[in-house]
Formats: sequence, C-alpha cells, structure tokens
Amino acid sequence: MEELVKELKQQLIDELNLEEMTPEDIDTEAPLFGDEGLGLDSIDALEIILILERNYGIKIENPAEGKEIFYSVDTLARYIESHRA
Amino acid sequence: MRVFITSDNIISALGFTTAENFAAITAYRSGIALTADKHISATPVMAATIERTTLEERAKALTDGGKYSPVEQLLILSITDTLQQQHLTRPEGSTALILSTTKGNVAALGGRNDIPDEAFLSHTARRVADYFGIAETDTYLISNACISGVSALIMAARLIDEGLYSKAIVAGCDVLSPFITSGFLSFKSVSPQCCRPYDAARNGLNLGEACGSVLLTSEYTPGGIAITGGSITNDANHISGPSRTGDGLFYAIRHAMDEAGVTPEEVDFVNAHGTATAYNDEMESKAIHLARLQQVPVDSLKPYFGHTLGASGVIESIICAHAMQQSMIPATLHFEQLGVPCPIVVEATHRTGVRTDVCVKTASGFGGCNAAIVLQKNASANRPRPQLAPIHAIAHCRIAGGEIVLDGQTLFSCDPDTPFATFIREAYKAIDGNNMKFYKMSDLGKTAYIATEVLLQKTPTFVPTEAGIILANRSASLDTDRRHQDIIDNEGEAAAAPAVFVYTLPNVAAGEVCIRHKIQGENTFFIGDTYQPDRLERYARSAMSRDGLQYCIVGWCDFLQGRYLADLKLFTTK
Repeated sequence: MEELVKELKQQLIDELNLEEMTPEDIDTEAPLFGDEGLGLDSIDALEIILILERNYGIKIENPAEGKEIFYSVDTLARYIESHRA
Repeated sequence: MRVFITSDNIISALGFTTAENFAAITAYRSGIALTADKHISATPVMAATIERTTLEERAKALTDGGKYSPVEQLLILSITDTLQQQHLTRPEGSTALILSTTKGNVAALGGRNDIPDEAFLSHTARRVADYFGIAETDTYLISNACISGVSALIMAARLIDEGLYSKAIVAGCDVLSPFITSGFLSFKSVSPQCCRPYDAARNGLNLGEACGSVLLTSEYTPGGIAITGGSITNDANHISGPSRTGDGLFYAIRHAMDEAGVTPEEVDFVNAHGTATAYNDEMESKAIHLARLQQVPVDSLKPYFGHTLGASGVIESIICAHAMQQSMIPATLHFEQLGVPCPIVVEATHRTGVRTDVCVKTASGFGGCNAAIVLQKNASANRPRPQLAPIHAIAHCRIAGGEIVLDGQTLFSCDPDTPFATFIREAYKAIDGNNMKFYKMSDLGKTAYIATEVLLQKTPTFVPTEAGIILANRSASLDTDRRHQDIIDNEGEAAAAPAVFVYTLPNVAAGEVCIRHKIQGENTFFIGDTYQPDRLERYARSAMSRDGLQYCIVGWCDFLQGRYLADLKLFTTK
C-alpha cells in the first residue's frame, strides 16, 4: 500500500503537470479536488481515469463514479488495491 | 443593425443543398448513424458524416480536377451554390470572405511527424479565397471553438453595418477525423446513441460533418431574414466545462436582444446550442431563464446534424432562417422528457403556422465562449448603429527572443537561445506567478498568460462584462495539435489525453486569460498568415463600441515548435 501511494503520487505529478512538486508535498489524506488540497479540476479527473486504465487496467466509464474514488490519494490507492486486474 | 441573408447552402449528412437539408428536418430525418470508417474513428461511433466519394466527384467536376482537401472541397462547393443562386460565379463589388472552422484540414497531420503547409488554417483560407478571387485583405478566418460560426456571422454583420463592405460571404466548415473523435471520446462526452438534447435521458453528443455558407448584404430585401443583433461573451469560469450559472450565455443573449431592440415577449423561438451533454444543456436552461425566455420554445438541431463544430453556427442559423420563412419552429428530435434544472419549453414535434418573426440563435464552446444573434423577419426599422467610440492603447507588451518588454521597458530577459520551457518558467517566477494551473497550460496558453499578466499590471479593476480579448496568430494551436496527433499515432486513439486535447483550440489560450482576469466580454480568435494590426484594432473598436467595453486586449500571440511571439496592446475607450 505504501509503495502504491508513493507510485500514485509520482504519476499524478507527471501526468497532471504538477510542476515543482515532489511526492512528499502531497498529503495522502487531503482532498485532490476543489480549492483545498491540490485544486484539481474536471480535466484532471479525466486524466486520472486514463492513469487507472493504462497503469492498473481499471476502467471507469462514468466520470461521476469517480467522485468518491478520487477524493484523495488514500481513497484512490484503496480502490486500486481492491480492483487491480 | 439590419443585414440580410440573400442566399445560402448547407452540405451535411442530410444533403448537398439547403433544400435537401430542410426537407430532411421537416421529415424528422437524422443524419446520425453508426460509422466504422477508420478515417473517422478507430472504434465505431455514432456520427453524421458526409459521403466522401460523392463530395470528391462533385468537387472534381467543379474545379476541373483541382486537388483540394475535403474542407476546401466543401467550402468551394458550398460557396459556389450560394453565389449561383444570385447568378454569380465570383463575388462582385466589395465583398468580405469570413470563414469559420475549429480544425480545418488537421487530418493532414496524421501519419507523419512534421507540420505540413496544408494543416495551417490560413492555407485553407488562402486556397478558398484564391478560388473565388478574393484578396487576403478581405479574407478573415475565425477559430473560436464551437461558437466560430455564430462569431463569423456577427463579424460579417458588423462589417456590413459599418459600411466597410456591401456584401459578405460567411462560410463555416468542419470535417471529422481520428484527431477530433478521439479527443471528444477522451472527454467522455460522446453518446453511444442518437443525442437527446434537454432530455432527462441525455448522455452526450454526436459529432457531425458539415459546411454552410451564406451571402449577406446591406440591401433591403422585402420579407427577407435579417441579422439584427449579435454578441460574444465569456464565462471566465473553466476552459472546458460550461458556466454553472449560465451568466456568460445570458449576457450574450441580452446584448444581442438589446442591439436588435427586441423584448422577451417578441421572441418566437430560441435555437440553442443543445449538444446534449449534461452540463451544456443545464447551463443553457439557466441562461434562458436569466434572459426571461422560459416561455419561449427552445430547440436544438443537433439530433439532425450532430455537433458540426465550426459549421454548426452557420448551418443552424440557415435552418432557422428557412424555418422562419415557413412559419415553422423545428422540433428537437428524440425529445421525450425534460431533464434540465430550469424548466424550458422543448417539443418533439414541429410547430407549424405559428408566428416566427424573431429568433434568438445561440452557441457555446470550449474556452468558456458564448455567442448569440437575433434573426428577424420583416425587420422594418434599421436601428442606427452606435457611434464607434475612439479607442487608444494604454499598455503594450511584447514577448520575443527571450525578452519581456512592457511599454519599451525590459522586465525580464535571458539568452535568446534559451529553450522556451526554461525561459517561460523563469519568466513566470520573475513576475511572482503562483498559479498551479499555469504549468498545465499549452505553450501558446503560457505565452498569452504571461503577456496579459504583464500587460494588465497597471490596469485599474474593471467590470468583467466591460473587458474583452481579441487575438490573432498564424499557427492556431498547431503546436498542441501535433502533440495530440503524435499520441494517437504512436499509442492509439484510446490514449488521447483530455489535458492535451483541450488545448487544440487556440481560443482556449484566451479562455485562460479570461479566467485569470475575469474578462467576460467579447472574445474572438482570428487566424491569418500575417499580423494585420490595423484590421484587428478596427474590429476591436467595433466590438467595444457595440457591447460597451471599457478595456480590450488586442494583438498577436503565436507559438509553434519552440518559436514564440506575443505582441499585445491594451485598448481603452476611457
């Protein structure tokens, strides 16, 4: 799980162009979207869907489903753990 | 403003003439079908496509076997039909050509690594203008996402109203390719069924191909349909998602109706954008309420044509004009049950024999842009146009060769050979930038963002609706277009990245600026081979006078494969 959390943070930094951030800067429990936390938006959500498909073989068809799964790095990692192909 | 439509043509999945297209709509026939054509999409999609063999044959016959891309073929065929109805083969007198497209001949990028001449929008514009013998100085091309067609009609009407031209040809065109379909699929906004605007069961849009053209004139045409008002605005909210309040579209509708001098009670129907994505339709219902048009029938033509992008504003306006002549309000095909937060009047059957004197036509698009025009039958009075206000530049920012210069003073400089990525990052730090979103922008977006950040340094605060941005460049978004095409060429169409695709529209760079500085007025992006500041400033003056703008950013912003140039001025009427 710890490995996965670290790996996810690096993927978010690379794929979402979070310039000048390191995995240590991302709070595992903090919200990814909205004004607090990383301040990601709907385009980032679509990019996270791509990360899940490409890197973990997990398909999310309806972006609305992603809301709870994408709440934080922690919820994302838990979802991947239980759905990994 | 009172500018008449004298003749028109539509080429779409529903036929090669306006008559064929109108007959199909009257008969509730849709052009949307499942297509497995690999030139459209790797995976089968529901789309409204134009039969290419017929197109090719007709274009060849007309141009003596000339070699033209599908977009050029469509534009030449469509404009020829529109002119022939006026017994013309070439335009006569002072005629402007205003083209609208989002992606033009972008398919030329497929299966190669470079950017060929044919992929430039200005190349397409030049070939079409040359065919009809129209000079470069009389040719304009607007690429402003999905409002492009309505924007082009507004601009043409303004040029004629102000006496710069007696006639104008407006032509909008877009064709589909894996470039476009893969991008919309990555946005999860494409429906696997026929789209159902405003319906509770709607689940996305269908893409479509089309070309439409109109000949506009200042000459009074008894019983004719005239454009009597128009306005362009921005949500200043998000680069791809529509406003959550509908305020931007509402401002466009209100300005257009004010210019036309019509009240909500006088509007007979609204032909909206109606893409059938959840958020677009929701936003439109809010804007329609804000404009007090909730009692007025609203329809969307997308279930017939699909979303035809840069052509949509032109072809849908043409259908509105013909429907008005027939005293008919077209139905929204496949509509069953209303599913938008603010109740509006949508119908599944055509209304016939009704009053159709006034129509409001709207469009909205990526980059937060909105546009509205008013079409009128028997418009008796020609409301005098506003006196064009004098404008003057109060700031000038230039970014070129590793330097950022404001009003002749160098604010930042580095070695001119410094790679763009390093230059722009250091420049951003130097101006104390701390917006995380900056790093996600395309390089065109970053250039526009920093240039305006510097340009507006000393500007007093302004009312959002009283500020605008009018930009031009040569390369449109080709730098990002190349990136998007590389991804789908190398990794497959399913690998298309939304964060890249969203920047394959040049006006999204302007949209970033609108969000940052809360600019909600006129926003238009022109594409041309050369920077013609006089013409751009002339247009800015017109837009500023008509919509009461106090400030407008005007200029050139280009980025292509590491080469960049921004030259922006801030104009004011104060």
